[in-house]
Amino acid sequence: MNESSREAYNAARIKALESLLIEKGIITSETVDQVIDFFEKDMGPFNGAKIVAKAWVDPEFKQRLLEDTPSAIAQMNLPRGMAGAEGEHMKAIENTPDVHNLIVCTLCSCYPWPVLGLPPYWFKDPTFRARAIREPRKVLKEFGLDIPETTEVRVWDTSAQIRWFVIPERPASTEGWTEEQLAAVVTPEAMQGAAKVQVSTSI
Amino acid sequence: MQIKFEQFVTASMLGNQDAPPRSNGELLFQIDWESRAFGVAIALSKKGHYEWEDFRQELIASIAEWEANHCQDDPNWDYYQRWLLALERLVCELELIDIEELETRTQQLLKPTF
Repeated sequence: MNESSREAYNAARIKALESLLIEKGIITSETVDQVIDFFEKDMGPFNGAKIVAKAWVDPEFKQRLLEDTPSAIAQMNLPRGMAGAEGEHMKAIENTPDVHNLIVCTLCSCYPWPVLGLPPYWFKDPTFRARAIREPRKVLKEFGLDIPETTEVRVWDTSAQIRWFVIPERPASTEGWTEEQLAAVVTPEAMQGAAKVQVSTSI
Repeated sequence: MQIKFEQFVTASMLGNQDAPPRSNGELLFQIDWESRAFGVAIALSKKGHYEWEDFRQELIASIAEWEANHCQDDPNWDYYQRWLLALERLVCELELIDIEELETRTQQLLKPTF
């Protein structure tokens, strides 16, 4: 089978399977749509990116976000569930030229899902978890992030009680950008403190 | 604590051999049928037709089967094809649907409509 006929076969196969399950009353297409929507629209790093972009352009919002993260997030028009499962107990911390923050979960793999989406594969890795606490600078360097000696590195242990997320530094040369443009450059790694926000200079 | 079922299922796979492909923290679906297969498998478990772990084991088995017969960098590797295979095996094993009716329906859908 060549690639296009294989794709056509796969598409027909899942359509056949789903339609039979629906006809038999086993599932409804709404349930399937809801599951897909949850991952595509409700929960993902795009939520966190919007929060960071707003904090960059609105100092008052940033202050509120740092002081009372859940209530600041509740003011934003984000999909339902932001404050729900694993979104509760969130706490934002800010990267500055003086302090760089990194979040890990040494016990398991707690993660602020609703705003950061699925954690990167290495987040669950026991070696990363142990080393991030012991030698954060070295780990960050391996991620391509060279933190100057003059900058303090703080590591925050996310748990069931508090789920941290990092407001990265706003990159230079983004003056006058809209929140939408800014949100587009924020990555989940940056909101975890494992990367800086990069702006392509080739625009 | 309230845990969304969708979060539970993906968390159970993260960092493991059966983890779905992702891009920048989001699930990566390259083509429509992949997200359909993903959604149907989770919906069935969410509605209690099987335990999520049973689906995972079926998926792990279907991946292992591929790996036993292909080189590691075989360009034909397709995660969601293994997912789809695991799903159809499980629904047939549980007699939710019959393999023959699935074959017939697939062939009907593949027929060009004039």
